Amino acid sequence: MTIAVLLKQVPDTTAKISVSGGRVDESAVSKWSMSPYDEYALEAALQLKEAGEGDVVAITCGPARAAKMLTDAAAVGADTLILIPDDGVTDSTHVQSLLAAAVKRSGSDVVLCGKQAADTNGGSTGPGVSHLVGAACVGMVSEVSAGGDGFIALRASPTGNERVEVPRPCLFAFDKGTTELRRPNVRGIMMAKKKQIETVTSDDLGVTIGASSVSLQSHSPPPVKPPGQKFEGSDSVPAVVAKLRDEANVI
Amino acid sequence: MDVTIIAETTADDLHPVTSQLVGAAITIGGTPTVLCPGGIGAAAAASISGVAKVIGVEGDCFETFDSGAWAAALNPLVSDGVVLAASAPSGREVAAQIAAMRGIPIIQDATGLEGGITVTRGIYSGKAVETVSVSAPCALTLRPNAFDAAADGGNADVSTVSQSSDVGVAVREAIAKVSERLDVSEADIIISGGRGMGDPANFTHLYEVADFIGAAVGASRAAVDTWGEIPHNMQVGQTGKTVNPNLYIAVGISGAIQHLAGMRSSKFIVAINKDPDAPIFGVADYGIVSTWEAALPVLKSELSSLLSN
Amino acid sequence: MTFEALDFYDIDSLLTDEERMVRDMVRDWVDEQVLPDIENACREGIFPNEWRVDLGEMGVLGAPLKGYECPGLSYVAYGLICRELERGDSGVRSFASVQGSLAMYPIWDFGSEEQKSHYLPKMTTGEWIGCFGLTEPDYGSNPGDMITRAEDNGDHYLLNGAKMWITNGTIANLAVVWAKLDGVIRGFIVEKGDPGFTTPEMTGKHSLKASVTSELVFQDCEIPKDRILPHVEGLRGPFSCLNNARYGISWGAIGAAQSCFSSAKEYALSRIQFNQPIASFQLVQNKLAWMLREITKGQLLAYHLGRKKDDGTWFPEQISLAKMNNVDIALEIARMARDIHGANGILDEYPVMRHMANLESVKTYEGTHDIHNLILGRHITGIQAFTREP
Repeated sequence: MTIAVLLKQVPDTTAKISVSGGRVDESAVSKWSMSPYDEYALEAALQLKEAGEGDVVAITCGPARAAKMLTDAAAVGADTLILIPDDGVTDSTHVQSLLAAAVKRSGSDVVLCGKQAADTNGGSTGPGVSHLVGAACVGMVSEVSAGGDGFIALRASPTGNERVEVPRPCLFAFDKGTTELRRPNVRGIMMAKKKQIETVTSDDLGVTIGASSVSLQSHSPPPVKPPGQKFEGSDSVPAVVAKLRDEANVI
Repeated sequence: MDVTIIAETTADDLHPVTSQLVGAAITIGGTPTVLCPGGIGAAAAASISGVAKVIGVEGDCFETFDSGAWAAALNPLVSDGVVLAASAPSGREVAAQIAAMRGIPIIQDATGLEGGITVTRGIYSGKAVETVSVSAPCALTLRPNAFDAAADGGNADVSTVSQSSDVGVAVREAIAKVSERLDVSEADIIISGGRGMGDPANFTHLYEVADFIGAAVGASRAAVDTWGEIPHNMQVGQTGKTVNPNLYIAVGISGAIQHLAGMRSSKFIVAINKDPDAPIFGVADYGIVSTWEAALPVLKSELSSLLSN
Repeated sequence: MTFEALDFYDIDSLLTDEERMVRDMVRDWVDEQVLPDIENACREGIFPNEWRVDLGEMGVLGAPLKGYECPGLSYVAYGLICRELERGDSGVRSFASVQGSLAMYPIWDFGSEEQKSHYLPKMTTGEWIGCFGLTEPDYGSNPGDMITRAEDNGDHYLLNGAKMWITNGTIANLAVVWAKLDGVIRGFIVEKGDPGFTTPEMTGKHSLKASVTSELVFQDCEIPKDRILPHVEGLRGPFSCLNNARYGISWGAIGAAQSCFSSAKEYALSRIQFNQPIASFQLVQNKLAWMLREITKGQLLAYHLGRKKDDGTWFPEQISLAKMNNVDIALEIARMARDIHGANGILDEYPVMRHMANLESVKTYEGTHDIHNLILGRHITGIQAFTREP
């Protein structure tokens, strides 16, 4: 059996995002990286591999530039690299069907991914793919190990954390994991550069990308923050707290 | 247009965000039916003004959170319009599964909604905003507190339906939240103290506030250098940690350039300082000119009343 | 926080994927492990052991050497490693330069098969640290007149003399020591614990504080016969090592300069005087533009030299030019950056004064700035000007 890990390449979280002509200007992104939650999923996948659960198949749906991220994944130990070109893909339903088909094709019975990508901030891919491949879905995961009838995962719950058991097939969507993605080394990098990236199209997967009712109208910069406001005295604290909740939306 | 709302619930009650989902449903001209997973909060949902119908969906499958099982049990009761859920961990997962089951598009974490349907939402962690249009059938999750709640005073019919589905997830152990001190580099909210706190012992007041809101406690270099009791790993600034939480509360920190370098990219900054000319006010979204002795107790009581609601 | 390097001429696009990946790996390591701890290491005057372990685990020690479990990377990759390390601190780059270019390289190039397979595998993992003994208290720019002597004593060699300014000396498991045997300079491998070998640490440095600097003292030091490097005689031995180390420095200095530039830019944009950021003043912009200009030129110099190292078309004077130029501009940039930071620039909250102090050493070691000028002068005119003799 293999372990599938779904990865996405996104602008590095420290990169500036600029908008021109109503669209985010991707050519101005200074650095592309693996989405941070996906990194935790990859690390967990590598740990499962080390525990004898099988080889790691890294799958991404994206443009050609995403090949670099797959090579990065290979440098830390991913065994098979699959790139599904995202031509014609406009909504998460498309991405889910392509990824689900690739997971089935890989024969994996455990799938790991991040809980959401750092670009779209969606979070539908994991649960959607789990449905399409008929796997139980566990979200907000920070640790996974083989055990019980399948796997034991630690996930966030409203009252703290809980350890849950799920049989195969199953999918784990990672929140911040317990272990950061390992650093590559030169040996891994040398091996990775020799590793083939398999390009698998929607035709290869037998997936027809249908029309979508979702259409992007525009991107825009975030609303400009109003200039700072200054209040006199501790009597103003309740007003500030109310603003934090209602205007700033931070508590 | 039919709108099916998946109620957000706590262990035994309706979560207040559900009223916001109803409010949003009405603004897009929808007729909301509220599904209450596990039957929780059905009566409360019925009393929200504008709700057409409430269905308490009961079944063993709701005893454990398994988004696939929940979605399978709820899906037969979803009508062919818009599905709305809260953008909370469970709401997002369940809505995504329902969307996948129905083969309809889903848009998560909307912060704005107009009839038609036009959705606005943050992307790139809030560094940009996207506006997308979508038509029913579709699923949407809405960010809590971004929409006005519908008023109380409704009197909708409540019915109960029993559903069953296969649960794959089994909880083996519940681990209570430990009140460990968060690290400043990981926290969404940070409350930091400076030399203006007067004495390291006074940091306990910061910890009290922090515990209420799950914040980490930080410090300026001046505080760390002056008092050995404040460890270096709390230091925010040029030589300390660079942080960008959603909310940064600076208490008794004047705002030296080295401190600003470590926290100015925080999304919202609140400064409490008794000196109206302190440079920290130059970067603060909300500045409160006050001693910490006067401001912190009010802050604590405000937060506690906010959170108990 | 990921470091966004200045790359005005998109030299990045000239790198192979492998080179970029190695660079990113080291860059992330510097951000995560070195920068949070560097001031502490300087204050305590130590090279943290974890850094040695990490460098070994990453597999970057002896980067361009092939075989014997060494990385076998390109010289450009080696340069990028040096640049990223020195962006952290010149002391960290010094550690890697000495290990790779000055200790591993001579064993790799001039050692016996047994020496290579015995030492190189454990040096590339960082398990064994090496150092390099050429300079003496009285012979720096003029190593040819060194005093240290080896004597054939039947079944062993006897070493006498002293070396000075030896990076890694006290923490090293072995030293590659250059000494005269019958009047000819030869290389010897001296191991820690060899009788008559001591390595007192030199203290009181205002520069390279996070790097160990030592003396190597040989008092009737006995070493086995099989520790002589069989395949080189004369100054060619140590000079070959220095060529590689100097090449690494030409990249490393750019790393230090980039760190200073980036700090100066940030500071100038956030420091408000006369109600505006000081970055809005022409005198400050002039400084920043000069830094950008010199860094970009230095990057191109280092990159092109790296490709020449890789295809074997280089000659030593090209390395002298790159080392001399890039360290010189880096030091000037560090001083200028300190200036832009105003009084804050003297604090350890900013990296600029640390880089400035480090670069004073870097300007002096591995051939002083002036010696490199003389090397170029000889190359241009055909007349050596090191001594007054014709």
